[in-house]
Amino acid sequence: MIEILPAPWEVILGHARACYPRECCGILLGEVGDGGSRRRVTIAVACANAYQGEQSDRFELDPADQFEAQRLARKEGLEVLGFFHSHPDCDAYFSATDLAHSWPWYSNLVVSIRHGGFDHARAFRANEAQTESTSEELICPTS
Amino acid sequence: MPHILIPAPLRQYAGGQSSVEAPGATVAEVLAALTSLHPDLRKHLFSDQGGLRSFVNIYVGDEDIRYLEKEQTAVGASETLTIVPSIAGGAR
Repeated sequence: MIEILPAPWEVILGHARACYPRECCGILLGEVGDGGSRRRVTIAVACANAYQGEQSDRFELDPADQFEAQRLARKEGLEVLGFFHSHPDCDAYFSATDLAHSWPWYSNLVVSIRHGGFDHARAFRANEAQTESTSEELICPTS
Repeated sequence: MPHILIPAPLRQYAGGQSSVEAPGATVAEVLAALTSLHPDLRKHLFSDQGGLRSFVNIYVGDEDIRYLEKEQTAVGASETLTIVPSIAGGAR
């Protein structure tokens, strides 16, 4: 289960709207409980989409942004819990591309943005072999 | 001795530790020592051909080794190596 508090949720939605019709991306920081199964996002870091190409259906996080996010997490006593990105004008599914470029353990929040506005969101985690993903219960201010 | 910051997905392969000390004067030496101490980490850091996997980034201090001497980048005794996962994706 991953819970996103109102402040980071607004960061995520604001970034997704601002980047539309391109995909946005960012990093989720927060607290972990129950051996990693319960997660609470307290900070969302909006990042530039570093993908070199058409960004309407692709994203890439700059490792430098992740490095800084790891540093921020250590400073705040938090953990990098995962990542978020948007799917403009399509559903919030975990695509084969998402799975191939993900890491196990991390939560992956996908936000559907239709016509520039929030539609719905879902969270996923990849298995250890990165051969499949499973839905993760998502608790967010609009759900 | 240099120490390596381990991201959460890899800690289960490093005895649950978020930071591990390992000797070495270059990135290659430190990572070899790290994977000697924790062999289960090897397949997550290195490809079958022996090079760093493409979606694993290593920082020495504040610098990405891709812009230094890659795995031959020098590591000081008190320096910190950070393992940074590459993340990408998209609807397509």
